[in-house]
Order: sequence, then structure tokens, then C-alpha cells
Amino acid sequence: MNGYAGKILRIDLTDRRISTLYTKDYEQWVGGHGMGSAIFWDLVKDKAVSGFDPRNIVTIMTSPLSGTLVPGASSRTEVQGIGVQSSPIEWFTRSNFGGRFSAMLKYAGWDGIVIEGKADKPVWVDIRNEDVKIRDARHLWGLDTWKTQEEIWRDVSGRGYGSWVELDPERRSTQRPAVLTIGPAGENLSRTGCLIHDAGNASGQGGFGGIWGSKKLKAISVIGTGSIAIADPKGLMEARLWAQGKYSMDLKNIDASWFARFGRKRPQITFWDPHESARLQACIGCHLGCKERSDTGYGNESTCEETAFYAGYDKAKHGGKQTSAAYIATDLLQKYGINSYEATRGLTYIRALQRMGVLGRGKRLECDLDFRKLGEVEFADHYLKLIAYRQGMGDDFAEGFFRAAKRWGRLEEDLKTGVLHYSYWGLPEHGYDPRAEVEWGYGSILGDRDINEHDFNFLFWWPSGAVWANKTPKPPAEEVVKIVAEKLVPYEKNPLMLDFSTDNIYSEHMAKLVAWHRHYTRFWKQSVLYCDHRWPEFINSKIPGYKGLTGEGEPRFFNAVTGKKFSFLDGMEMGRKIWNLDNAIWTLQGRQRDMVHFSDYIYHVPFAGSGNYAMYYLPGKEKGRWDYIRVNGRHLDKAKFEEFKTRFYNLEGWDSRTGWPKKGTLESLGLKFVADELEKNKKLGA
Amino acid sequence: MSHQENKKEKIDFKRISRRKFLKLTGTVAIGAGVLSEIVWLDDAIAAIPASKGYLLVDTKKCQGCLSCMLACSLVHEGKENLSLSRIQVLQNSFAKFPDDLTMAQCRQCVEPPCVEVCPQKALHVDTKKGNVRTVDVKKCIGCKACIQACPFEPGRALWNPDKKSAMKCDLCSDAPFWIQKGGVKGKQACVEVCPLNAIQFTKKIPEQKGDTGYKVNLRGESWKKLGYPKD
Repeated sequence: MNGYAGKILRIDLTDRRISTLYTKDYEQWVGGHGMGSAIFWDLVKDKAVSGFDPRNIVTIMTSPLSGTLVPGASSRTEVQGIGVQSSPIEWFTRSNFGGRFSAMLKYAGWDGIVIEGKADKPVWVDIRNEDVKIRDARHLWGLDTWKTQEEIWRDVSGRGYGSWVELDPERRSTQRPAVLTIGPAGENLSRTGCLIHDAGNASGQGGFGGIWGSKKLKAISVIGTGSIAIADPKGLMEARLWAQGKYSMDLKNIDASWFARFGRKRPQITFWDPHESARLQACIGCHLGCKERSDTGYGNESTCEETAFYAGYDKAKHGGKQTSAAYIATDLLQKYGINSYEATRGLTYIRALQRMGVLGRGKRLECDLDFRKLGEVEFADHYLKLIAYRQGMGDDFAEGFFRAAKRWGRLEEDLKTGVLHYSYWGLPEHGYDPRAEVEWGYGSILGDRDINEHDFNFLFWWPSGAVWANKTPKPPAEEVVKIVAEKLVPYEKNPLMLDFSTDNIYSEHMAKLVAWHRHYTRFWKQSVLYCDHRWPEFINSKIPGYKGLTGEGEPRFFNAVTGKKFSFLDGMEMGRKIWNLDNAIWTLQGRQRDMVHFSDYIYHVPFAGSGNYAMYYLPGKEKGRWDYIRVNGRHLDKAKFEEFKTRFYNLEGWDSRTGWPKKGTLESLGLKFVADELEKNKKLGA
Repeated sequence: MSHQENKKEKIDFKRISRRKFLKLTGTVAIGAGVLSEIVWLDDAIAAIPASKGYLLVDTKKCQGCLSCMLACSLVHEGKENLSLSRIQVLQNSFAKFPDDLTMAQCRQCVEPPCVEVCPQKALHVDTKKGNVRTVDVKKCIGCKACIQACPFEPGRALWNPDKKSAMKCDLCSDAPFWIQKGGVKGKQACVEVCPLNAIQFTKKIPEQKGDTGYKVNLRGESWKKLGYPKD
């Protein structure tokens, strides 16, 4: 099986039983998310159980591209299961992470792992090629995520690393095992606990750290020495050199090139001040790293959001100058294993409450934190410890700040004003506000979580960055939407899908953009595992005419590895199938149309935006002319959003009264068995 | 040896034992370019010509993506396997730059212990391919002497458990799964694929003692544009 290992590891923690699923049985789902949803469908009979219930499973899936030379698609691992972070329903959800875990799992001979049940004592899973052991983790329980990994590395090779490590006399590796682990936050069942791999890769959303904690699973370690068969090795090498040479960063002429999402010229995505000295660091197989390792060891492998956790407070505390507190605070997030979005939005929230005089020492909401130390390492450590160990008010924090606000009796009020910046499903708002960049909010509320899919985000960053720098945005709006619209098959050549003007954001055109986004990400990014930091590529500053490689690149690499003959459109249709399966699962979890709503402030409070976001530009057509328009100052109209939902459901072939998939839609996708199950449960769309 | 004796002796650099050469070094000036012409005589009277190609690496530039390893196993074996890569990159997520990463390329040693030790001359100098030190798989009996003999850690000669033979870097002289011509007169997959140009091919024999010959600075001015020191 080209690209595949052929087997999926199935671990029942209750009975301590290790068995195998055959990848061939799930091959039609291709990999990653598709396989995870299908396996979940088969193995979890009662889909309405809580995420903490032992009957919940966690799937950890690779794709056929994991561990290969495909650029920006070799390293990601997709984690799924019933989450514990969202509200009011703990949606069946997903999260993925980079590094080298998926690659190592493939080399060990496994396409994925399914975790079932619950162990009676702390355990870790030790995978060395086909040899799999469930081992006692009492000596690991309580350790932070970094110490846990170092301890496991010592276990696997007592002689350290630096030479060849023998798994047996025939099979050796120079690599350290790839470990995925929880920290104290997960051990203490935090809904904001995450899974950490190496220093800075995290499966952040969904609370999978807490779920593993409830299963008493501390870590999974894998080391493999095997091979991944490639259908067309020459073709893969050629494709890699083509993509890299034509589209990727030219060291002699550094420009945004691939991927220019933030419009920056540098590939590393960090929001703190640069280290004195560092290397660019990349996940396995990536053509353009986004992380770093520093000369202090601080901030190793953290990227993007988590690097923004504390830098602002650090600077404010130290007269505008950042210290190492910014880095160390982020490292603490990784070590305790805490979701950086919850930690960041949560801190903003409790800081606001503290300033309002309702939270603090001796206040109605008694909290031990000394806000005079905000910006120092000491404060960050105290705050994160409260969450990790559920100490004092940390017991509320560990529930996620939406549930915390509810416990405090402040939820309704704080969602009305927006001081609690949690806009969808009780989850922290990502930063690309639903009132501004609607495809992000819509995708999130019509699904299960903050989508964290940056596919169209460059439509904000490129023009806005230019405006902030007093430059003219290039290319002009009309040109950019034309380039992108050409690639939005099967809805191609409809630039109105990219019209973010207020008159258009509830239209069927926008519904098509949201649908396209769901389908593309479900397949190409979450099943085939093309990385969100580098794919899709609509616009490339290095190419005359700006056309990126999306449409051509995705199937070219996929087919070179697997030997299949997928077209880009085949992938889109597969994505639509997977998206429908997910909606069926949510339906069985109790989803109803009328719960699909943003938090109150989205409908009433005009979007101001802070800092640079106060100048939020997106392409739009106003008075018949395309331009980059400033979308600050608007909020969503609840009634119009209701109309939009109807348009979206109709477009997707879902029952517009309930949002449930219809029989005809499911059957046309080969999902009759899903329709039958929904019908049995009286939840089939009419 | 006295200076006078040196003058009398005609030194044939085309056939000189290492022992003699070492005695001469320091007493006789060796012209530029001579090193590459030297044909070593070992005690078994086997001549080991120096390789016409070498890989140099910049361990501070490397982003640890292992693309070189993925490309190496891909073009040689037609599959992806880090344990079948003839170049190895090792890293530690928790260590401090630059000690967080090492690159282990074959040095195509001027005095290759792996060649000297092979009982079957399977690991040999391929004079038709620019003197690369490479394994003739048909002759290899799997004794693993070469693997033990490499003085570097991790050893550059590696074991292929599928073929039950040794293998090592051949500068892509024999890379059947690549349309590009490899070898000392062609390209190397690791060099071509490295996204940051952290591996370089050279025809010049690197300094054999220590690492400075093989671990070099390839960063240049553009590296500063990324915000990193180019020193």
C-alpha cells in the first residue's frame, strides 16, 4: 500500500489489550480526519456520552503523506474524539499538531492509534516498531511535559543519543523517540489540557489533555526504523524540487513567497522580540520552517499564538522592553500542557475583571494572584499553576473561562459586553473576529470549534499590512479575488464569494465560500494533512501574476506518493463527504439549528479591534467597485444570520429547520449507513 | 631525516606510504593541488585515491527538517526511511542552539578505515565514479566490519536490514530513483533538496583533522535578513 503502513494500532486501556485495525478497511477515507471520523462512527455506539466518559475514544491518525518528502505535509498528526472544551455540547472535535510524531509512527509500521477505555493506574504506551507495550507511568505522572519526554528518551536508550540506537541488532536509528504527552493540567482533568510533542508542538483545542488524564494515559512514545513505500519516487522528488524552486523562499531574494499569509518576509512566525541568536526550525519534511530554537533554550519550537501569550505584559511591566519572561511564560504553557488560547483569552478576561474591582484578593471573586507582578515570570507561573493543579480559583480556570464565567454568575453579562471574548461554542475567539472576517466565524459556528484554518486570512493580512505601513495594497482587490476565485472549484470563477462587504456577508455567495472552506480543510488539510501554516497557497509574491500552487500542488504530491489518480476536485468531494459524516455525529450528539448562534456581543457590539486590528481590511465590492474595505465598526445582524444559516443548510443539502443532513444528500455521498442510523434515532433531515 | 637526505631523495607522490608522508610533512613543502594527486599505499599495497567530491554542512543553518534524509532514502531506495539515509541529522528539542543539532555526513575520508577494513573489497573506491567510497552490494557479505570501523559517531556506514548489506554515501553516484545525474560530476539529492542550502558539494579535499574542514559557514549576508547571526 503506497504511502500507508497498513495497520492501525488499537489500544484498550481498560483491558490493557493491544490489537490491530486494518488500514485497508478504512482506505476509502484516505487518512487523518476522514479515517478518524469513520473509526469513531464504528467504535463509539453512544455518541452522546461525555468526553470524559471511558466510552469516548481518541484517534491519533497520520496520512499517507506523513513521513515523506511532501513539503509542508509530512509532519502533522490529527487527533479526534468527543472534546471537553466546547459548550453547551461537548462536540466531537479535532485538533492537530506538527513535529515528527506522525512520521515516526509510520516508520514504526502504524497509520494511526485508537485509544479506548480507561486504565486503572497511570500508564504510557511504548511503541518500538511492531513491539507495543502498555507500561506503568507512576514515575512519569506529575512530571511536566518536557521532563516526561526526557525521561522516556532515557528509558528507550540508556546510552543516550548521538550514535546509532539499536532496537534490535538489525534495526537501528539515530533519532530520539517521538513522544506525545500530557502535563499536570491534563492529569488534573483540565478542559484546557493539551497534548504536547517535543518542545512546542501541541494538540491544543478540545481538551484532549484532560481526556487522556481521565483515561490515566500519560504519554505515547514511538520509534520506528521501517520504510514507507512510495508509488512514484522519481515523481515525488521532481515535484518537491519543482514546488520548492518555483514557489518557496529564495535565500538570495527573501520575500514573502510561500507562505505569505501574514505578509511577512520571514518564515518564522513569532510575536515576541527576536532571540539574540537562534536557528530556524522546521517540522519533518517542511520546505520552510516556522519555528526556532534559541541560544538560551527559551521558547524552543513555539510558534504563532503561544508566542503572543505574555510578551505584551512583559513589555508593559519593564518599561516597554521585553525580557526573557515572554519566552519563559510560553515555555511554562508547554510544560504544564495548557491550551494557549484559553490561557491568553482567560488572562485578558480576569485582568479586565480585576480592573473592574470584582476579582482579586479580598474581592467577591477571591483570587490569590498578585496583579502587581503581571509581566514577571512569577505571575505567569502562579497563574498557570492555578490552572494545572486546580488550586483555588484555578479550579474554575481549569474548566475553561466560559464555564468559569458561568460558575461566577457572570456569563450572560460578560458575553453581552464582549469582555469575555468567547464567541462560538463557549470557546475563545481566535482573533479574526466573526464580525469582521465572517468566513472564520461562520465556519466555526457551523462546525464544532474555532476553525483555526487560515486559508483566507491573507485577504486580511496582505492589504491591512500594506495600509498600516502606508503603502498601497498589492495586488489590487479585484485582481486578488479573481486569482483566488479561479481556484475555488467546484464553485470557481465567482469572485462574489470573496466580497466581505456588509451587503454580501449573508449571501449565498458567502455560503459557498464557507462550504468550500469546510470541504477543502476536511480533506486536503485534515485528512491528507497539508499543514495550515503553508497550505493552501492562493497567492505567492514570487510568481508573476501572483498565482500560488493550490489546485495543482495538492493532487500532484498526493498521487506521487499513493499512486492514486485523485484530482483536486475529487478531494473536494471527499471533503464534503467527511464534513457530512461529522455533521451526522453532531446531530446524534443533539445538535439543533437554534443552538447554532454566536455569543451575544457579536450581534450587538460593533467590532472595534485593538492595535493594528482597528484597521481591518478585506476585499469587498461597494457601489459596483472592488476595493479593500475597512470592516471595523460593524456587528452581525442576528436575523440576517438566520437567513444565512438557511442558505448554507440548503446549499449543503441539510434540513433547514434542524441543520440535520438529509437522506438524499447522505445517500448521494455513499453514506446510506449514516442515514439509516440517523433515521433510527429520529434525527434524519427531512 | 636531514635536509640533505630529502634533497637527494626523489619523492614520488604518486606512490607514497602514509608513514613516509607523515615523516615528510613539515620538512618538505607540499604544493597546492598535490594532495589530490597523491595515491596512498597502505601496507597491503592497495592504492586509495582521494575522492573527487565531498559534502560540507552548516550545522547552524540547518532547520532540522530532515529533508536531506528523506531525499537520500527516496532517491537511493525508492522509499522513505530515516534509517536508510546515508546522511543523518540528530537533534534535541530541549537543548540550546547551536548544540541542539548535529549533522553527520560521510566525509569520503582521504584515509577511509571502512575501505581498509572490508575483507571482500565490497566497500571500495570506485575509480570510475570519482573515487567515491561506496559499497558494491553484490560483494558485501554483511560482516559489518565497515560499520564498526567508521571512527565517527554516528557511524557513516550503515546497515540495510532489507538487503542484508552495508551502505553509505556515494554522492548520489548510484541513485536510481532520481532523473538527475548524480555523482561527483553531477548533483546530490541532499544538496538540491535542502531548503536553506545548508549542505554544499565541493571538489576540494577538506582538512581531515577535526571538524573545521567539514562543518562550515554557508549562511552569508541573506541570513541576516532572516534575523539570524551570520557569523
